[in-house]
Amino acid sequence: MSKVLANESSAKLNVKSKQRTVWSHIKKFKALYVMSLPGIFYFIIFKYVPMLGSIIAFKDYNIFLGFLGSTWVGFEHFITMFNNPDIFQIIKNTFIISFYDILFNFPAPIILALLLNEIRVVYFKRVIQTIVYMPHFLSWVIISGLFITILSPSTGIVNTLIEALGFDSVYFFGSEAFTRPILITSGMWQSIGWGTIIYLAALSGINPELYEAAKVDGANRWQQTVSITLPSLLPTITILFLLQIGQFMDFGFERIYTFLNPLNSGTGHIIDTYVYEIGLLNAQYSLTTAMGLFKSLIGLFLIMIANFLSKKATGNSLY
Amino acid sequence: MKEKKFFNRSLFLLFVGFLVIIVMGCQSSESTNPESGENDPETDSSEPTDISISMRTLAFTHVENHPNINEDEYVNKLEEMTNVDLDITLVPHNEFEQKMDLMFASGDIPDVVSTSGAYGGGSTLRDAVRAGVFLPLGDLLKEHAPNLMEQVPESVWESVTFEDGKIYAIPEFLGNPSRRATIVRADLLEEAGIPVPKTPEEAWTVEETLDVLRKFKEMGVKEPYIGRAEFKYADTFFGSYDVFPYESQLEVVDGKIQPKFFDVENMTKALTTYKTMYEEGLIHSEFLTHEYNDYKNAGLSGNGGMWTMNANELLQWEAQIKESVPEADIEIIPSPRGPDGSGGHYLYGDVQRSFMINKDAEDKVVEIIKFLDWMLTEEAETYFSYGIEGEDYTLDGDQVNYNQPSTNEEINIERYRTGWLWMVKDTTYYANLLELSEEGKDLMNTYDTILAEEGRDGIRFNTAIEALDSTPQLQASSDKPAPFLLEKMAKIVTGEESVDTWAQVIEDWKQRGGDKYLEEIQERYDSGEFLESRR
Repeated sequence: MSKVLANESSAKLNVKSKQRTVWSHIKKFKALYVMSLPGIFYFIIFKYVPMLGSIIAFKDYNIFLGFLGSTWVGFEHFITMFNNPDIFQIIKNTFIISFYDILFNFPAPIILALLLNEIRVVYFKRVIQTIVYMPHFLSWVIISGLFITILSPSTGIVNTLIEALGFDSVYFFGSEAFTRPILITSGMWQSIGWGTIIYLAALSGINPELYEAAKVDGANRWQQTVSITLPSLLPTITILFLLQIGQFMDFGFERIYTFLNPLNSGTGHIIDTYVYEIGLLNAQYSLTTAMGLFKSLIGLFLIMIANFLSKKATGNSLY
Repeated sequence: MKEKKFFNRSLFLLFVGFLVIIVMGCQSSESTNPESGENDPETDSSEPTDISISMRTLAFTHVENHPNINEDEYVNKLEEMTNVDLDITLVPHNEFEQKMDLMFASGDIPDVVSTSGAYGGGSTLRDAVRAGVFLPLGDLLKEHAPNLMEQVPESVWESVTFEDGKIYAIPEFLGNPSRRATIVRADLLEEAGIPVPKTPEEAWTVEETLDVLRKFKEMGVKEPYIGRAEFKYADTFFGSYDVFPYESQLEVVDGKIQPKFFDVENMTKALTTYKTMYEEGLIHSEFLTHEYNDYKNAGLSGNGGMWTMNANELLQWEAQIKESVPEADIEIIPSPRGPDGSGGHYLYGDVQRSFMINKDAEDKVVEIIKFLDWMLTEEAETYFSYGIEGEDYTLDGDQVNYNQPSTNEEINIERYRTGWLWMVKDTTYYANLLELSEEGKDLMNTYDTILAEEGRDGIRFNTAIEALDSTPQLQASSDKPAPFLLEKMAKIVTGEESVDTWAQVIEDWKQRGGDKYLEEIQERYDSGEFLESRR
């Protein structure tokens, strides 16, 4: 917001020195600035101050000495991290799972929103919409419980179906091959309806005159979708995609951990679950902070690339 | 520049306003606290001593489901009898170590901290003792704790002696460390015409045990042997072959100390046994994803034929199983014997949990020690065994008329009172309760004839080994194999990998960092800093 204001006022006061401009315009819009203070304080206190704790990645952190009193060890924890034989499998898992998530779960709500948009019976549309966004409110513990029950080889409904069709039942949770498909499918089931809300809002904002004009020109529904709906959604899609990229490495601990067991964890462990195991279960705070920092750096790097590309290609960007 | 001044002032005022709100917020929560305390301990010497204590819930149903354990009638009665005012903070059973770390990190530590084992609960407790967070208790115990000094065995005091030679923890101890037992449905055995083995000499071999399980299967028992994820309480056959992949299971081979799972031949046999059971359906096909509740339900609903559990819970399980299967009769039998003629489960440490006193509670340390020492008096034994007089039992001269618990709720209360609230005692069994019934006397007898004769132990170390702290995949716990091994074990049992690969698994384990562990235990062993194997 401040940027916009700065631009406007600097355009008006084009001759004066820069400092002067900034001050006079703060004075002019002081109410707005005061209103922004709580937000700024919030970010300083709850987001920036805790970030200082990251220095324990370069220290040998001891709870009783505190994070200022602990001894410096430089990059030792990063070296330990990369000496761990599991780390490359884990980084690989993180990338593959996140990649699949973007590949399948990012477009899913867009498609669903487009489909819902074609439904003309408002009542039916509302019912469907409500049903599909409900799972969003369930916790991952419950969802994993549901999936474990549904996919159980002896009692699950899926295997009952498979057997009724004359095939052998499949132990979905007992094989590494199924870990990722289960994770992605459960994620889609949980978030698809919630994800459509924002697209439906964007869809309702499209000027109906465009469609009327298209109809007059003889465009069918498919042509209308391709030529009007999709281009109108594109800015929303780009921004959401960039936000999604920012969380590329943040797949979420709970979402994975509740699905893992000794049989399927080989392809399922990601940095988050590993950090949990080493850091919280084993009290290796420094090492896990190092891993967390590493993860954040990759995330930052990815979002910068994506933002750059998007700016070049579509003109839409986060900053 | 009046405007600027005004602006600065309003900014300043706003900032002050924030501060005031924050300070008031903090104060109001603080100022309400003393009111809830009500009593001021310094005004009258007969006033109860305030003791704050953190206790792990140990998954006791009554504790975990209680809306406020500090208001529980048994806690109130305990407070009345000992003239203390307890303030119990519950620590969830499963997240015990993380919550302890959080507690230490916040610096808000209660007067008394209950721990798991001697100095268990992750590396934090070790660091805490080193950092001087807790009071050394040696001399104080000699002076103020006659019962503790008399009743706690010498070997247990050794287990709670820290690396600096001082005692920081008051132990709840275990006289007979063989705690887990093999349980069988005796009524099913009778139906099959198989005699119930009663003495160690009559114990079945592994092959005989498998035949019994096969018989159960034929008779329609759904889970002849009840399995569970991580082989927890489902590790009987690792015991038969003496290859428990646990923390305490170390042995000396050719002058070198090494984990028992290094024994490729026996480990392969043990894994083959589970593989056979898996293939023949003697164990649930999904046992590797079954948790405690699946295991307990299988047992209590009558779907199981044989399983492992803590022997002291036998009577409570029996009461509960009879609700759904009236003809059920469960009994402890000697565990299946391996090639060396022995078997059994891993031996527990001598210390179940212990109580450490915060150095900030120095002014009331004597009262705390006296309170814990009271737990070993006859008065305490009567109270925790039978409960409240007039409510749970009546006295008829010397004869105790105890209202035997019958509902699940009552059983849970008895378990909670004896197993949890009774903080310091020999936890092997509760003689007072067992003496009341024939089954109880049988059970006590079983402890002495069967359990005391079996079980596997290894060379142990007082404080945890540090070499694997950054590779949790390789780290075993007291009754769980290291995740890395577990993964391999699971794959071998389900047939995904060949059973002949164990030697390779050991090599991988070493390469991934296990060799550092071997170095550390060898070093500690050579320096004589270890506890001998008890069996």
